[in-house]
Amino acid sequence: MIDQLLGFVTYYWPEMITIVLMMTLLVAEATVKDEHAPRTKIHVYTQFMLGLVLVNLFLNLGEKPLHIFHNAVTIDPFSTLIKIIMTAGTMGAIFLSHSSRDIYTNLKSEFSVMAVGVLIGGMLLASANNMLTLYLGIETLSILSYVLSSFKRDEATSTEAGMKYALYGGLSAGVALFGMSHLYGVFGSIQFVEMIDKIPGLAGLNLAIVIVSFLMFFVGIGYKISAFPFHMWTPDVYQGSPIPVTAFFAIVPKMAGVAALVRVSFVFFQEGSALTVTWTGLILVIAAMTMTVGNVTAIGQSSVKRLLAFSSIGHVGMMILGVVVMNEAGVQAILFYGIAYLFMTLIAFYITSCLSDMYGTDSYDVFRGLVYKHPLMAIIMAGVLFSLAGMPPFSGFVAKFNIFSVIIEKKHYGIALVAAINSVIALYYYVKLAKTMIFSEADGEERVLSFTTANQIVIVALFIPVLFLGIFWDSAMALAGNAQLFIK
Amino acid sequence: MMGLTSYLVISLFLFITGLVVMISRKNIVAILLGIELILNAAALNFVAYSRYVTGNLDGHIFSLFIIVVAAAEAAVGLAIIIRFFQIKETIHIDEATQLRN
Repeated sequence: MIDQLLGFVTYYWPEMITIVLMMTLLVAEATVKDEHAPRTKIHVYTQFMLGLVLVNLFLNLGEKPLHIFHNAVTIDPFSTLIKIIMTAGTMGAIFLSHSSRDIYTNLKSEFSVMAVGVLIGGMLLASANNMLTLYLGIETLSILSYVLSSFKRDEATSTEAGMKYALYGGLSAGVALFGMSHLYGVFGSIQFVEMIDKIPGLAGLNLAIVIVSFLMFFVGIGYKISAFPFHMWTPDVYQGSPIPVTAFFAIVPKMAGVAALVRVSFVFFQEGSALTVTWTGLILVIAAMTMTVGNVTAIGQSSVKRLLAFSSIGHVGMMILGVVVMNEAGVQAILFYGIAYLFMTLIAFYITSCLSDMYGTDSYDVFRGLVYKHPLMAIIMAGVLFSLAGMPPFSGFVAKFNIFSVIIEKKHYGIALVAAINSVIALYYYVKLAKTMIFSEADGEERVLSFTTANQIVIVALFIPVLFLGIFWDSAMALAGNAQLFIK
Repeated sequence: MMGLTSYLVISLFLFITGLVVMISRKNIVAILLGIELILNAAALNFVAYSRYVTGNLDGHIFSLFIIVVAAAEAAVGLAIIIRFFQIKETIHIDEATQLRN
């Protein structure tokens, strides 16, 4: 028994290293004597340990999928890939936080502590295989996120963002939990593997309770990925939070939520049953509404952070279309979308952060005539915007193409049309921002100085995958398409 | 004699009360109380199902975790509310209007 549990630990290295990292960071932060010390050593240590986590995750990628710790946790290529995306996103956000002026100097290593904590929650959520680990994952993710969003604690906007996040988050987690409690009553277990055996035998009142409970359950996940009726908090929280935190939110909690949605959908709903039709129908409608609301509302925005928030809502709508088809191709499309989205989002927030550090605001005006002030920055930002809009040859195009191909293969022509219209709307507001950068006259003669060489190297390095994945996407798909992604 | 139904009715009542409190009250601390009511409704459900239907300990364990998480969430929520009060000198939800379109 003990031998078996210890044997499972070998699959759990990434999580364990992350937990050790968080604990040591807390101690290291407490030893810093000077409040205004730059904390470079702690930053390097964090990046090194996260690199170690990445290495361990890549080593796990080749393993056969299995359930560990009495079916509480699943280690499979899907969850490992999601964890890789999240770890890379955390590294990017921590690097950004170290150079950004939006995070107070004395809070820089606290940012790392919180971000690593959110990463632990995300990892738990991505491989959750019973309701308890799923709930703990969601809450670990959420509670630390509330702290992160109110990180600029002297400013009313940031505190307000944290408060709104905490209230909406508490409500949705509570509703999801209420749904889970009834699922437990009907199925008699919190283990996914034991619950799925009982689904075919459901009838009458039990079936009705299960449908309502799953709807409540969806509230919790839908809130994390900011799907349509539960997206109201997203723009406010994204605008109020410091920029590194916003970049972090756009990647880590979102990917963890998408992973949980994929896992729940694929574990519980086999193709053909009435329950499955209800669930996929629900996701179909929600995906369509999410995309439309995100993209249409993005048009009128004047704050770039808010624009990126709405665009991220639109992207999530696109991503969860991969769940509707209920096959492995859909999951591969979601994974590819996640990888492509990671790089695009990081670059967009890096550049916004840099400009907002310089001008103290993130409105459209700071982008006016950027091409005259800093050509490299403007070109890369334009590339990223086109990629986000889904233009070839960038990776955003391939990501969208994959989603379209899986849904058209299943003959969902209506939703494909909605997605296509949404792409056109998205193109409009991305190109509008690109036009502001290139064709508007600059307000002043000043150059952008805060963009250091290190930042330039990072941005160019991040831009390579945006180009490269779009052109050579076969190899990336092979990475995402390991033999068996899932086990039930 | 208390059966499963009475527990379920009580927890449903707690849940709805929590929702109503969250929607109708303007005091942020009261809204946090509403969240606690919802979480306790779920915890009560878990324990009741564990006792009357399933006969295993999953529900008890789950409700213990709910209590722990609820405490953590309340701590963070109150800390943020204190910060909000120090800046705005009120805890009225209608004062939180700086983030808008």
